[in-house]
Amino acid sequence: MSMTIEALFPEKCNLFGDLFNVKYLQKCLPDARRVDTPLTGEPVFAGQRVDLVYLGPMSERTQEQVIAKLRPYRERLDQLIEEGAAFLLTGNAVEVFGRWIERENGERLQGLGLLPLTAKQDMMHRHNSVFLGQWQGQEVIGFKSQFTMAWPEEGAQGLFSVTKGVGLNKTCGFEGLRQGNLFATYLLGPVLPLNPCFAKSLLGAMGAPEAELAFAPAAEAAYAQRVKDFHEKIG
Amino acid sequence: MKRNLRFTLALLAAKLSVFCLRLIGRKGTNLPGGIAIFLCKDFLGRMPRPETIVGITGTNGKTTVANMVEDVLERLGYDFVCNRTGSNVDTGVASALIASSTLWGKPKKRLAVFELDERSANLTMSYIKPDLLLVTNIFRDSYKRNAHPEFIVDILNRFVPDSTRLVLNADDLMCASLKPGSVRSYFSIDPQPEEEPSGENIVQDVRACPKCGALLEWETRRYHHIGRARCPQCGLSSPQGECRAAEVGERDMLVEMGGEAVRLPLSNRSMINVYNSLAAAALLYAFGLAPEKIAGAMAHTAISASRYLEEEVNSRKVILHLAKGQNPVACSRAFQNIRDYPGKKAAILFLDDYFDAMHTVENISWLYDADFEFLADDSVTQVVAAGARHWDVYLRLLMAGAKEERLAHLPETEEAAGALRLGEADAVFILYDVYTIGLANRVKEQVKELMKKEGSRG
Repeated sequence: MSMTIEALFPEKCNLFGDLFNVKYLQKCLPDARRVDTPLTGEPVFAGQRVDLVYLGPMSERTQEQVIAKLRPYRERLDQLIEEGAAFLLTGNAVEVFGRWIERENGERLQGLGLLPLTAKQDMMHRHNSVFLGQWQGQEVIGFKSQFTMAWPEEGAQGLFSVTKGVGLNKTCGFEGLRQGNLFATYLLGPVLPLNPCFAKSLLGAMGAPEAELAFAPAAEAAYAQRVKDFHEKIG
Repeated sequence: MKRNLRFTLALLAAKLSVFCLRLIGRKGTNLPGGIAIFLCKDFLGRMPRPETIVGITGTNGKTTVANMVEDVLERLGYDFVCNRTGSNVDTGVASALIASSTLWGKPKKRLAVFELDERSANLTMSYIKPDLLLVTNIFRDSYKRNAHPEFIVDILNRFVPDSTRLVLNADDLMCASLKPGSVRSYFSIDPQPEEEPSGENIVQDVRACPKCGALLEWETRRYHHIGRARCPQCGLSSPQGECRAAEVGERDMLVEMGGEAVRLPLSNRSMINVYNSLAAAALLYAFGLAPEKIAGAMAHTAISASRYLEEEVNSRKVILHLAKGQNPVACSRAFQNIRDYPGKKAAILFLDDYFDAMHTVENISWLYDADFEFLADDSVTQVVAAGARHWDVYLRLLMAGAKEERLAHLPETEEAAGALRLGEADAVFILYDVYTIGLANRVKEQVKELMKKEGSRG
């Protein structure tokens, strides 16, 4: 049976070339079925298990809509996470699954409460940085461009350990969160084609550890050059 | 805002810097404005303003449109201050106002025309309060500065004064929906009989109705979210332009303004150029110029050579085309122009951000928002990617479906022409960023040499 990848609300949650995470997985898994679920539609994961649920970054107003849309499915999402279903959340999609987002005026937008993290917005000071971290003994490189910083709760499991750059906040030793096979990172854009080692792990979590990475030689060379440049120019 | 001691000191310090800069033969810098704003944060709000201020903002096309508008006004004998040689942020505007004022700040000219950065509206528009403001369009731009289009819409809604009369792009629903309570006029291009749908672009920031959220239906979608749309649920539709391009031809377009029809010249038929020319005309019309006067003066304007330049060598073309880095829409437009250009084409891409390439690792996520898929077209014989991020551009091109044997990539930008195989290419495009015009010109000369050596294909 072919695998199913569900991209949630791609018409809105795709601000930084992020859908190429899904497109890259499709190239790696040519037989996989991709389902794009619009904000006006019924999520596929609600009625059946999918092999990956992907949610990308969105505007601050869209966050409200997405949280409202997913709230009725909170228990189902919780169940899927417990059962080990694979999820990839990038950019501020992380916050949708968190406890709350604090606005500049102090108001709190309640998230789904599935991840032990809170976030605080500062709309006139955008944070931009390059990130270098570790993932299972290999380097992960990515980019951050966001209006928020996030604070994990005690005992939360980080995704990447910080080598250089900013983690969930400026003093946090890790970037992103992991809960079973749910991978949540503030790194934005095409995280998977840019980090072959992480892409390979995600394919494993989806149940396709044997899948070949698409365009592997070019992706590996581009990744190696980026890491080299990071060490030479920043590190 | 009234003048105070801090403002007066800031003005005098800025004037002194103008004097010093003149002594050393420098002009057109942002230094005087920078000094003034450093010393007096709200300097622009306290500086006496010219009687009328016209602003031009938007994501893409504002420099080209501002240049056109200024050329027309100059040709028609208007005397005005502008920031053409400076920047479009607060320091550039302040420098222009300082340079065109008396020692105590009184404006020497009654009219100002300013290109205004949309992201910096909080630092400029709320102070200078433009009387008339053109917004060319609103698109996804630099992730670092502009975040996302909704953020820019919010900034404009918040910081453009309610009193400002707006000229808006009716074919951009995000732009057309700005400041709903303000006095406005629109410009638009009618659906053209032979117009073909552009196909899907990766970036399409208005898919849903801005009013009720239902998915929009498109009568014409030219590129990204530019076109004519209507909402099947609440009935919202693209407004009609008071300034409408009814017929777009090869060298001109028929434009209806206030019941009069005039022909406006076009340098070429690229929709970007059509929108830029139409936007300039709409602004000039809203400013109070008669349509025939606009048409007459526009016949003498041209797209700035720093943005698009064609040269011919031995029946082949070499074309310099601006493709602002980190701006996926501007690059997508350039890629589509390459695909749509007649004959076989090769392209040299200098897409790296000049400063990031020197000091850091550029956030190359934007490559995945740009439609490299246009370059996978069979009419594109070769793509050469040069610069620090050449491997990333190469990977992106592969993801777009470009054939490996048609690609070359290398880190050294100055050697890009060496990787070029002219072969059957009728034209060679060189895509460059604002800061790499020098490099693009040097490589253009090398490409011309190659064309001379290979002789005429005919």
